[in-house]
Amino acid sequence: MVTQGEDSRLPVITAEDRTALTDSLRRLLADRCTEADVRRTMETQSGYDPGLWRELAEMGVVGLVIEEEYGGVGAGPVELERVTEETGSALLCGPLISSGVLAAELLRALGDADAKSRLLPGVADGARLATAALTGRAGGWTPETIEVDAKPGAGGGWSLSGVASYVTHGQIADVLLVAAKTPDGIAVFEVEPSRTAIKALPAFDHTLRLAEIVFDATPARRLAGSKPAWDAVEQALDLARVALAGEQAGAGKRTLEFTVDYAKTRAQFGRLIGSFQAIKHMAANLVLESESAISAARHAAQALADGSPQAAAAISLASFACADAFNQIAADAIQMHGGIAFTWAHPAHLYLRRARADAQLFGASAFHRERFLQRLGA
Amino acid sequence: MADGAPALTDDALRAEVRAWLAEHWKGLPQPRPGPGGAGWTTTPEHRAWLAKVVESGWAAPRWPTEWYGRGLADHQARIIEREFAAVGAPGSGQDRTNLWANTALAYASPTFKPKIVPQLLKQEVGMCLLYSEPGAGSDLAGIRTRADRNGDHFVVNGQKVWTSGAATADYGMLIARTDWDVPKHKGISFFFLPMKQEGVEVRPLHQITGESHFNEVFFTDAICPAENLLGAPGAGWGVLQTALAYERSVMGEGARGPRSGVAESNGEEPLIALAREAGVLGDPLIRQEIAKVIGYRRLNAMNTARAKSDLAQGTSSSIMSLGKLAMSRILHEEARVRTLILGAGSLLEGPDHPRAEDANFLTLNAYFTSIGGGTDQIQRNIIGERVLGLPKEPEVDRDVPFRQVRGNA
Ligand SMILES: Cc1cc2nc3c(=O)[nH]c(=O)nc-3n(C[C@H](O)[C@H](O)[C@H](O)COP(=O)(O)OP(=O)(O)OC[C@H]3O[C@@H](n4cnc5c(N)ncnc54)[C@H](O)[C@@H]3O)c2cc1C
Repeated sequence: MVTQGEDSRLPVITAEDRTALTDSLRRLLADRCTEADVRRTMETQSGYDPGLWRELAEMGVVGLVIEEEYGGVGAGPVELERVTEETGSALLCGPLISSGVLAAELLRALGDADAKSRLLPGVADGARLATAALTGRAGGWTPETIEVDAKPGAGGGWSLSGVASYVTHGQIADVLLVAAKTPDGIAVFEVEPSRTAIKALPAFDHTLRLAEIVFDATPARRLAGSKPAWDAVEQALDLARVALAGEQAGAGKRTLEFTVDYAKTRAQFGRLIGSFQAIKHMAANLVLESESAISAARHAAQALADGSPQAAAAISLASFACADAFNQIAADAIQMHGGIAFTWAHPAHLYLRRARADAQLFGASAFHRERFLQRLGA
Repeated sequence: MADGAPALTDDALRAEVRAWLAEHWKGLPQPRPGPGGAGWTTTPEHRAWLAKVVESGWAAPRWPTEWYGRGLADHQARIIEREFAAVGAPGSGQDRTNLWANTALAYASPTFKPKIVPQLLKQEVGMCLLYSEPGAGSDLAGIRTRADRNGDHFVVNGQKVWTSGAATADYGMLIARTDWDVPKHKGISFFFLPMKQEGVEVRPLHQITGESHFNEVFFTDAICPAENLLGAPGAGWGVLQTALAYERSVMGEGARGPRSGVAESNGEEPLIALAREAGVLGDPLIRQEIAKVIGYRRLNAMNTARAKSDLAQGTSSSIMSLGKLAMSRILHEEARVRTLILGAGSLLEGPDHPRAEDANFLTLNAYFTSIGGGTDQIQRNIIGERVLGLPKEPEVDRDVPFRQVRGNA
C-alpha cells in the first residue's frame, strides 16, 4: 500500500515497464521522428504528424498521465519526465505537452467529473487535441497576466471577452480550456474553439504552434472545481514544467552529443578541433550543464511523484536550470561547429529555436528563480 | 556481501547501527583550528572515538572483513553513514572519503599494510601529499624529485611545494622518479615517506588567506623503507590516479566554509540569511543571483546523488568527474554573491567585521578548489578526453625517455 500526497498516482508502472516504454519510444522516434521528419512536419500547417501521433497514443505516451478509468496509463511525473527526455531529444513536433499534460492535468486538478468523463477519453486516445489558454499578451502565465473576463449569463452559462495569447497549439485544438477573471476570482472555462477568433502566431521555433485567441461574448461553460481554480492551473503548470524540464534536458543532451561527435571528426591546422582546448573546455562545461539539467529534471519529477513538501522548489529549480542549460548548450553548439551550423540545413538552429521557446513557456528563468527563493522561504 | 553469510536486511542493519550508536555515542568536544588557523587539532577524545568506530567495523563497511570492514554493498554502507550523520557522529564512510586509507588498502605492501591502514582509519597519523614541485604542477609526470634504491630502503632527494599539512604530517604520500631512462609517466614510484626525520625539512609558506597551511618540503638523503613503496617500482602513476580520484571526489562534495566563527543562520540558506541581515533581500537583482548560486549547489548535490546511484547499479558514472569543477564554480560564485550583498561592507576585514572577513576569505579560499588537486583547466581536459573521448592535446615529451627531454638531463 502506498500512501502519498493527495495528487500522487498509484505506482502502476515498475522500473522495468518504464525502461521498456522509453526504449520502445526511442525506437519509434528514431524511425518516425528523424531530422527529415521534423523538418517536414514543422512546415505543415498543423505542426504535427497525425500518423505518428496515433502511434504515440497507442503506445500510451499521449495518455501517459491520464487516469486509467479515462483510458490513460495512469503513470506519474517520473515516467512523464523520462518520456519527454526522449521526445525532446528527437525534437518531436506536436501537442504532447499541451494536450496530454497541461490540459489533461488541468481537468484532473479541477476534478469536474462531467468534464473529465466527456473530454479525457478523447484526449487520452489522441482523437481530441486539447490545450489551455492561461495567459494574456504579456505572457508570464501568472494570474495578473490574464486578459479574459467572464460574465455570468442566463441559464447558468457564461460569456468570455478578451484575449488569450501564447496558447500552445491553440490553432489545432478541439478542446479549449480558458482561465478567465470572474467577479469571484479566477475560474476555468471550457470553450468551443469555433466560437472564438483564433489567430496563429508566427513562432520563432517552427516546431511549435502558438495562437492568440480573441473572445467576444463567447459562450463558455464554467468548470466546477474542488479547489480554487488558479491552484488547479498551477498544478497543471507544474506538471507541464516537469515535462518541459525533461524535454530540455533530453534535447540539451542530444545537442551536446552531436556537437562532440563533430569535434571528433572535423580537422583544422592538421588536428581534430576537439583537441583544441578552446573547444574541449567549452564541451566540458556543457557536460556539467547537461548532466545538471538531467539531475534537476529527474529530481523534480521524483519530488512531485513523492508528494514531497520540497516539490515546488524542486520544480522551480528544474525550470530555470534546464532552460538555462539547454540555451547555453544550443548556443555554444553553433559556435563550436563554425559556419556549417549557420546554415539552415544544419540541425543546430532547430535546437536553439526550441531552447529559446522552452525558456519562455510557462514562465521564464528569472520568474522561476524568484519563485525558487520564495519557496525557500526568502 | 561476504560469502556464505546470511543476507543482512536493511532494517536489521539500521537497527544494529542505531543500537550501537545509542550505546556508545556521547558527543565530542568541538574541534578547533590550530594556531594561526593551521590545521585541525584532533583531540584524544576524538581519536578514542574513531578507534571504537574502526574496531566495530563502521568506519569502512564496504571493505572486506579482514580489513576492518563488513563486505557490505554501497547502499547498505550508506545506511550506516546516514545513521552516523543523523546523530552527528564522525568516523563512518571512510571507505569512500579517506583517500590515504583507500590508497594504502589498494596498494600497500603485505608488511606495511597491516601497520598503516588502522592508523589511517583511526587518524593516529597526520598525512600530506608530496606531489607538486616547483617545475611540475599540472604536468605532474614531470617531477624531478628522485628516489634511489639502496638495499632495504630508498634515498630521496629533491623538493616539493604547496604541500598542505606537511608541518604536522607523520607521512607524506610521495611521488618520486626511480627510473630516468623511460618516458615520464613510466619512471615514477609512489611511497609513504616518513616525515619526521633529519632528511626532511619543512618550510611554511604564507598563503593569500593569511594562513600557513601549505609548505615547501626539501629532501636531503631522506630515507624511505622499501616496504613503504606502494605498487611496483615505476608503477606510481597508476597509484597516483587512484589517490587523485579520491581527493577530487572529496573536493567535489565540499570545502571549508566561513572562518569567522560568527554564526550566520539557523537552518536558513546562508546567502538568504546574509542578504536578510544586510537588508537587501528585497533587491530583485540580488535575489536572482542568490537563486542562481543556491541552484548550483543543489544541482551538484543532485548530480552526486545520481552518480552514486549509477555506481550502485553497476554502471560507472561520468558525472563523478564533474563534481570538482562544479564545486569550484559554486565557491567562486558564492563568494561573488556574498560580496555583492555586502557592497562597500566588503572593504573591511578582521574580527569586528565577520561578514566581510568571511566574504573575503571565501573569495580567496575558492582557489583552493580551482587550483589545488588539479586546476579547473586540467579538470576540463580530463572531462573532455576521458568522459567525452575528445582527442588528446599533442604532448611533445610523452614518449621520450625522461632524461632526454629538454632541461631534464
Ligand atoms: C591551496 C592549495 C593547496 C595545495 N595543496 C597541495 C598539496 O597538499 N600537495 C601537492 O602536491 N600540491 C598541492 N597544491 C598544488 C596544486 O596541486 C598545484 O598548484 C596545481 O596542480 C597547479 O600546478 P601549478 O601551481 O604548478 O600551476 P601550473 O601547472 O604552472 O599552471 C599554471 C596555469 O596554467 C594552466 N595550465 C597548465 N597546464 C595546462 C594545460 N595542459 N591545459 C590548460 N591549462 C594549463 C593551469 O590551469 C594554470 O592556470 C596545492 C595548491 C593550492 C592552491
